[in-house]
Amino acid sequence: MITAIERLKIRLAVSVELSGKPAKVSEVIRGFQATEADGVWHLYRGMKQIDDPRERAIIFGHCLEEESHADAFVKAYKHYGGRVFTPTHYERKALYAGDEPIWKTFAFVHVGEVDATQRFRILSQELPPGALKDCLSNVVSDEEGHVDLTYEMLKRLGATDSAIRSEVRWVRVRRLWERWLRTGKRLIDNLANISLSIVYYVFGALLFGAARRRLARGFVTYDNNKMKHL
Amino acid sequence: MKVLGVSYGYHDASACLVVDGRVIAAAAEERFTRQKHDSNFPTYAVEYCLKEAGISSGDLDQAIFNEDPHAKFSRVLCSSMAAFPDSRREFVESMKAWLGRKLWAVNTISARLDLAPEKITYLGHHYSHAVQAFMGSGFEESAILIVDAVGDWACSALYTGKWQDGKPKVDRLLEVSFPNSLGLVYSAVTAYLGFSPNDSECSTMALAAFGTPRFADKMRQIIKETDGGLYEVDQAYFNFTKFFRGPVTDRFLEEFGPARSYKDNLPFDCFGTPEGVVSKDAQRLADVAASTQLVLEERVLGLCRKLHGMAPSANLCFAGGVSLNCVSNYRVLTDSPFESVYIPPDPGDGGTSVGTALYYDAAEAGGTPGRAPYSPYQGVELDELDAVKLVDFIKPEHFVPYLKQGVELPKGSKWRFKTYKDRDELYAAVADRLMAGQIVGCMQGRGELGPRALGNRSILIRPDDTKLATRLSKHVKERASLRPYAFSVAEKDALTTLAIEPDHVRMNRWMQFAVPTVESARPKLLGALHIDGTSRPQVVYEKDNPAYHALLTAFGERFGIAALLNTSFNPSGYPMVTTPVEAMVMFARTDMDALLLNTTVIWKDVEHS
Ligand SMILES: [Fe+2]
Ligand SMILES: [Fe+2]
Ligand SMILES: [Fe+2]
Repeated sequence: MITAIERLKIRLAVSVELSGKPAKVSEVIRGFQATEADGVWHLYRGMKQIDDPRERAIIFGHCLEEESHADAFVKAYKHYGGRVFTPTHYERKALYAGDEPIWKTFAFVHVGEVDATQRFRILSQELPPGALKDCLSNVVSDEEGHVDLTYEMLKRLGATDSAIRSEVRWVRVRRLWERWLRTGKRLIDNLANISLSIVYYVFGALLFGAARRRLARGFVTYDNNKMKHL
Repeated sequence: MKVLGVSYGYHDASACLVVDGRVIAAAAEERFTRQKHDSNFPTYAVEYCLKEAGISSGDLDQAIFNEDPHAKFSRVLCSSMAAFPDSRREFVESMKAWLGRKLWAVNTISARLDLAPEKITYLGHHYSHAVQAFMGSGFEESAILIVDAVGDWACSALYTGKWQDGKPKVDRLLEVSFPNSLGLVYSAVTAYLGFSPNDSECSTMALAAFGTPRFADKMRQIIKETDGGLYEVDQAYFNFTKFFRGPVTDRFLEEFGPARSYKDNLPFDCFGTPEGVVSKDAQRLADVAASTQLVLEERVLGLCRKLHGMAPSANLCFAGGVSLNCVSNYRVLTDSPFESVYIPPDPGDGGTSVGTALYYDAAEAGGTPGRAPYSPYQGVELDELDAVKLVDFIKPEHFVPYLKQGVELPKGSKWRFKTYKDRDELYAAVADRLMAGQIVGCMQGRGELGPRALGNRSILIRPDDTKLATRLSKHVKERASLRPYAFSVAEKDALTTLAIEPDHVRMNRWMQFAVPTVESARPKLLGALHIDGTSRPQVVYEKDNPAYHALLTAFGERFGIAALLNTSFNPSGYPMVTTPVEAMVMFARTDMDALLLNTTVIWKDVEHS
């Protein structure tokens, strides 16, 4: 059911939002690149808390693959982007507080892998031939492997099946909540766009002369040579 | 006294902890988040600094921020209003960022550090740069020049600094106000040339060496010299207040020709063997770069003249983003009225956290000019065990699909390692590898402050082999052939390789100047020279970095000159590596041959059946 909805959403996005719009496609690719790079960062962080070199070596391989995915998206970007690629920066945040067991981080990563696999697979099927389709088709086979790899890692780290199930449920709720928050933010953003545009036309008409005079001054004259406090 | 310097919000967020006048730790946030020039609040850099001193934020006496948010907000507001009615998008986007976040930066610091607001001080941005430039210099008194893109309102600023009654006193002489910005002009031209602004200005500087400055007169009219060395930027050529319309205006395009798409090939090679023919159009772009570079140098020299007139000192402290331009820096060293030039190891925004923290401490508790200088090695200490434990479990054959383009892995590849007890033996072994033409990643001790790799997070090769340097560019660094490399040289060989005055040798210890090289030494340095025979040297003194000095010396015994081509240890698009695991991922995916991690060498070997 979820897959059907996801497919419908992606199909709609491909035919309406992305079709014939390389700039939009390049933004989507930037998002994918950022997600991959963010994934690597969480893996590096998770790895620091693991002692067993065998497990560390598995995560090392995983880091390497995700980093190569990020690179693959940068390459794909070049087929669509009008401007040189600049990565999107997130404020990096640890997924769990320091005292939570490390396997929980991998539960989060696992859910990310499941979702990425699904989204990338559908998208690669729905997209017309092109660099992004090729890139996604390559990446998706790795992502499928990562779903199993992260599940195995959860077991290696001592998580029981029922603990994994309950954590995965919790992660799903958290991700849903985050998605709602993003939707809410977009809504507020749109409202801000409208109200600030009104402010701009009202005050801009009154203030642009003063602003131009201020810019023409050439030198900074206010007292700027001291330590300041709020 | 424990003072935390904090810089964030525009680019290169960083933190620095000073305890009783000494820098305990300093690092850019990008080294922890792996996002180049990360501008977010430096959560992890702060965490690292506090951990290094074994304290919590509650133990801090003071935090200090490198910007006056209110002054900067007024500039952003004015600049978008001034372009009315063509700047609605700029206004809306800036106001969202400012009203939502940036205006409350000081409150954010207070909340994130759980520190009372009265324990947080902030300085105007150029004042922060001025104290940054002065504090590490060791000078009793100095003139101070700051040139960057834009801070609060200022774009360039002239200051003086001196120690008075055991306290530093830094006073403003003059600040040139937005939109008259040399840094913004240079970034706009960088974008026009198809490079990434606020990141790849070094590519513009590198391209300039391939051009002739035939547009210099035009550029001189655009960046006019005024009043005895000051300047004014003709805004008809740039979109500083309407940045969503692209970096330059149609008028600029009429004068200089169409902009370059980043996808277009620029077949310049600093070793003089370009792949492909240099078209007329590519040459035009190089000429635009050369003209911009030349006029930038002239205007910076103008500012030096003006400054010297107002503050006639023999010493100059120079900081701000434009002081990363090592070609113009050398002109400052040779053609300005100043005799000694100090440029901090991290002269951009990232380094302001260091300068402001040192300044606050000395201004409150007192200090001496001799106590303030600091080393650039203030970053995270390397734990080699982290990597060593991993090596036996790594299966290189699994990495084949993920290798960088053009990198090959022979069948039966294995990773091996050896940890050396004897340092001499270690450096001899690494020197032998370098002599044999291997590409060696070198990670030792604490990471560097600022954008230059100074031997602790570096990739090294022998400096005479241009083929090897090309391999390094293509299969390790993934960088354009027009960008030259730099070299490190042990102090004893500085004057046999660098055509500079003996007095200038010590000023070259952090790769701040592009200097001419001694002609007879050039055959030994070919891979590390630009097309014009210059390079950006790091003169290494034993007391500054004993481990790296020992490696250079061991190599010198075999090669004849104690010099190595040195480039930063970072995968393309990422900041320099911080942990050995990050280094090993790059090692695995690229054409690097060996990895030196403190006393351990890891290398790629082929197992023959
Ligand atoms: Fe991935
Ligand atoms: Fe994955
Ligand atoms: Fe700055």
